[in-house]
Amino acid sequence: MRRRNLTAYGFLSPYLLIFAAFWLWPIIYSFYLSFLSTRRAPWTFNPSMTWLRITQDTAFYNALWNTLKILAIQVPAMVFLATVLAVLLNSQLLRARGLIRFAFFAPVVIGEAAYAAVFRLMFNTDFGIVNKTLQAIGLSKVDWFANPSAAMSLIIMAVTWRWVGYNAIIILSGLQSIQTDVYEAATLERVSPRQQFFHITLPLLRPVLVFCFVLSVIGSMQLFAEPYLITNMGGPGGATETLGLFLYRQGFLNLNFGYASAIAYTIAALAVAISALNMWIGRDRT
Amino acid sequence: MASVSINQVTKQFGAVSVIRGANLHVEDGELVVFVGPSGCGKSTLLRMIAGLEDISSGDIHIGDTMVNDIEPGDRGVAMVFQSYALYPHMSVQQNMSFGLRMNGNEKADTERRVQTAAKVLQLKPLLARLPKQLSGGQRQRVAIGRAIVREPQVFLFDEPLSNLDAELRVQMRVEIARLHKELQATMIYVTHDQTEAMTLADRIVVLRDGLIEQVGSPLELYHNPANAFVAGFIGSPRINFFTGVATEYAEGHQLVQLSGRGSAVAKVATTEALPSGTLIKVGVRPEHFEIGGACGFPIKVDVVEQLGSVSYLYADTTSEYPLIVARQDDGDHRSDELTISIRAGKALLFGADGNRLR
Repeated sequence: MRRRNLTAYGFLSPYLLIFAAFWLWPIIYSFYLSFLSTRRAPWTFNPSMTWLRITQDTAFYNALWNTLKILAIQVPAMVFLATVLAVLLNSQLLRARGLIRFAFFAPVVIGEAAYAAVFRLMFNTDFGIVNKTLQAIGLSKVDWFANPSAAMSLIIMAVTWRWVGYNAIIILSGLQSIQTDVYEAATLERVSPRQQFFHITLPLLRPVLVFCFVLSVIGSMQLFAEPYLITNMGGPGGATETLGLFLYRQGFLNLNFGYASAIAYTIAALAVAISALNMWIGRDRT
Repeated sequence: MASVSINQVTKQFGAVSVIRGANLHVEDGELVVFVGPSGCGKSTLLRMIAGLEDISSGDIHIGDTMVNDIEPGDRGVAMVFQSYALYPHMSVQQNMSFGLRMNGNEKADTERRVQTAAKVLQLKPLLARLPKQLSGGQRQRVAIGRAIVREPQVFLFDEPLSNLDAELRVQMRVEIARLHKELQATMIYVTHDQTEAMTLADRIVVLRDGLIEQVGSPLELYHNPANAFVAGFIGSPRINFFTGVATEYAEGHQLVQLSGRGSAVAKVATTEALPSGTLIKVGVRPEHFEIGGACGFPIKVDVVEQLGSVSYLYADTTSEYPLIVARQDDGDHRSDELTISIRAGKALLFGADGNRLR
């Protein structure tokens, strides 16, 4: 190897060493772990306690089902809302543009614990503002933390609130990369604003929308903070337990690292598969 | 096709006046070119005709219709943009038919119009391609095709050739001239390139700072500019300006002593005598010099541009506007020291305010 290259690698080596020790090695080691029974010492090679168990574990299927439910409802709803928000943020009529953009982006910056605490207060069954409002307009109050469906919708609302602005900013940058004279040309051709949106804006936004979908799918697959902090570790009775939470429970509460590793690999594989499906559906057919 | 009338039109962006009272009538079937330096308001005026900019005051008629309050899409105009403004995700065919399809035009008719336009513009082999698969010239032809299929009353071109390289620009210029002849269409064309204006226009409108300086045929503007600005803007290479002092007047010619040029005198045809001693500006086109002559002045040639049919000699190249002299011979005049004089009757006189003295 040439001397210059060696020097370059010399400078890179501190990073490469840390990267290998704390990133590469855990990935490899956890794959190895996923074949070990780790319920009691000594750890022994026994994939039936990990990979076979995952196919039979009803708790895993419950977590998977919950995660897919969130994915199927929350991701499309959020990307839709984010698109609407981005179009509004892009409006010429908007004042205090910078402030409003920051306001929608702010939830991402706020600490998870703080936002979870506020959501718990707002949705508190007896004195939360949400139930108070529902009662004020003549509806009955909802037991957000004890009713499985209500708890699930609470998680979906929380996650959507937190990430919709972030996605809107990404979509906004996509909107702004569309040349304005394309719209002028369409206006001169008597193409209505609605037609412009569906025939020009949406098709040109497709790569950005696919990106948002993929990002959100990966996020949902790893969803942990909201069910952990807002609905009391996936309650009621595991109704909001996600794969991320299930992984945490197996790994760090039961200290069953072999099984947790197998779950982690399953989550990663599912995320890749669903993202690939997304990209395939949203591919450029032209 | 239709005529276009602009009456007392102004445009204000806040406190800034971009168009300050424009009056113009474009005849049916005429190709009029708006030309002027950047920021003169030519594009704004065009966009006001299109309806993409509001009119602050005055009115615009297309045909017999006042269009001030008519939506851009209903004015019967089609526009070709500098950036082409093609729909990036649509094929050439879709780009050209999009407007018609969105307006529920009959399918067979849309197809017929697209095919006709594609034939006129030699786009037939490219109909299935996307804009990104086309060269700049091809993209601009698609943009023109998109305008043609609409069968508009008026075509508007906003610096359509500025993004093309020199050779393509010449080709497209010829193509647009041909189209104008074939379609007999009313066209308004904006450019900052006076060569484009000279070669394309039936009439040229020269704008400066939101005001129309002069309207006329290309040769009229070249030979008979109304003021020093038009004289300086029209013509390439640029006209030469000298300062001078009026002296005698004899036989319909004003004699002008050029300042800083020794005993050089220009003899300019005018209708009346100027008071002796009046400070004036003399404009001389590069081809209106001759070598030698009794009333000439010496120059030292710094640079020569030999273009084959004509050579341009540049002197005083360190000043902002070098002196440019056209010569018809092929000789190498670099570093030559020549005496040149102004051909009798060919110079143009301008007063201190820049207006032409005839």
